[in-house]
Amino acid sequence: MKGATVRRVVVVGNGIAGVTAADALREAGFDGELTVVGDEPYPAYSRPALSKALLTDGDDMSSCLLPPAGHGADERLGVRATGLDLDGRLVVLDDGTALPYDRLVLATGSRARRLSALPGELTLRGLDDALVLRGRLAARPSVVVVGGGPLGMEIASGCLAAGCRVTLVSRGVPLSARLGPHLAGVFAGAAREQGLTVVETGAARLGGGAGGTRVVLADGTVLDAELVVTAAGDVPNTEWLAGTGLTADGAVPVDVRGLVRPDVAAVGDLAALPTPYGPRRVPLWSSAIEQAKAAARALLHGVAAPPLSFQPYFWTEQFGLGLKAVGHLPGEGRPVYLEGGPGGGPALMRWTHADGTGVAVALDHRVSVPRLRRLSRTAA
Amino acid sequence: MRIVLDRPRCEGHGLCEEAAPELMHLDDDGELVLDRAEVGEADAARAGAAVRVCPVAALRIA
Repeated sequence: MKGATVRRVVVVGNGIAGVTAADALREAGFDGELTVVGDEPYPAYSRPALSKALLTDGDDMSSCLLPPAGHGADERLGVRATGLDLDGRLVVLDDGTALPYDRLVLATGSRARRLSALPGELTLRGLDDALVLRGRLAARPSVVVVGGGPLGMEIASGCLAAGCRVTLVSRGVPLSARLGPHLAGVFAGAAREQGLTVVETGAARLGGGAGGTRVVLADGTVLDAELVVTAAGDVPNTEWLAGTGLTADGAVPVDVRGLVRPDVAAVGDLAALPTPYGPRRVPLWSSAIEQAKAAARALLHGVAAPPLSFQPYFWTEQFGLGLKAVGHLPGEGRPVYLEGGPGGGPALMRWTHADGTGVAVALDHRVSVPRLRRLSRTAA
Repeated sequence: MRIVLDRPRCEGHGLCEEAAPELMHLDDDGELVLDRAEVGEADAARAGAAVRVCPVAALRIA
């Protein structure tokens, strides 16, 4: 077995992708020297929880705390990778040291795409961001959230739940790009009922002023608020890979096993995977986990390892509604209802795409992922 | 070792069932059932994977 020659593995990134890769390496039989580098001082936590339960949990942190890692790696936390020497097989760190490797996992994730350099612009990406935002919400400030994707909407929902007056600025109907018009309509109704003000605009920008940060809409209208939070997408952390030739269009393209080359894998939010729609980042919790498992096996066993095979699993909780979906969203047009109906209440629905694949969606319905997976495959 | 479920926290995603179907499953109401809470050395890795995959930290190993 090829794995026998692998003595040292370095995992750069300690989010769920990195920590799962480290676990999976051990599970696949790697018992050599394992090092995990993480730029945050914390052990891995649940990022999806940051914009959901954590925002409204008072002082409680437990909704995002994951159990301790079992990989037994040498953990270098609070340290950032600044460079990679592919020929010398060295990862350079910002503490002046360099880590040699036989196999390498790139899992440095992504960061919030900011709309300004203003300190008044809050974003929500890491645990520190979430704690700052939660702390600010305690005083019930007026809030403008910029960004009508799932994250922006979850933040808006959390701010409303904290008792704030909230305006959401969105390019087009919130959630329509991600979920399609039908589901976007369902969530728009729930958000309205809870008191969210939605402003649709072209590109918005932020400006500084005497009173703090303000949001300027495409038509020049200015929105003032005591708190401005933006959720305008994410940018992969690939700067440390400059000069390696491993990046394309700001991400790291990988093969069906998550490999960039035989000795280097990339997993999680910075990796662009082969999908039915071309190479794409799939920055989702379960995607990061499945990528990490496949890539760990491939690093040790090469092409003998099974390729990555998964359907995206996406969920969101906002404005009192919970949605779980397996398959590729958005769904176009109207769904087929397998349970429930369009009038509200728990529902199970399915869209069939032109290529025959499907997406199964549970709305306010406690349906497990394995069942949604089966439903997404079954022709309606 | 023992798998411990914080039931109020569980949202019924079922990612744990996918990671360790021989140890746990979701019933027809979407409630998690631990079929084997006490696990030996042989199942430790699978139990750990199931606990790790939970996005709402509803599972832990004691």
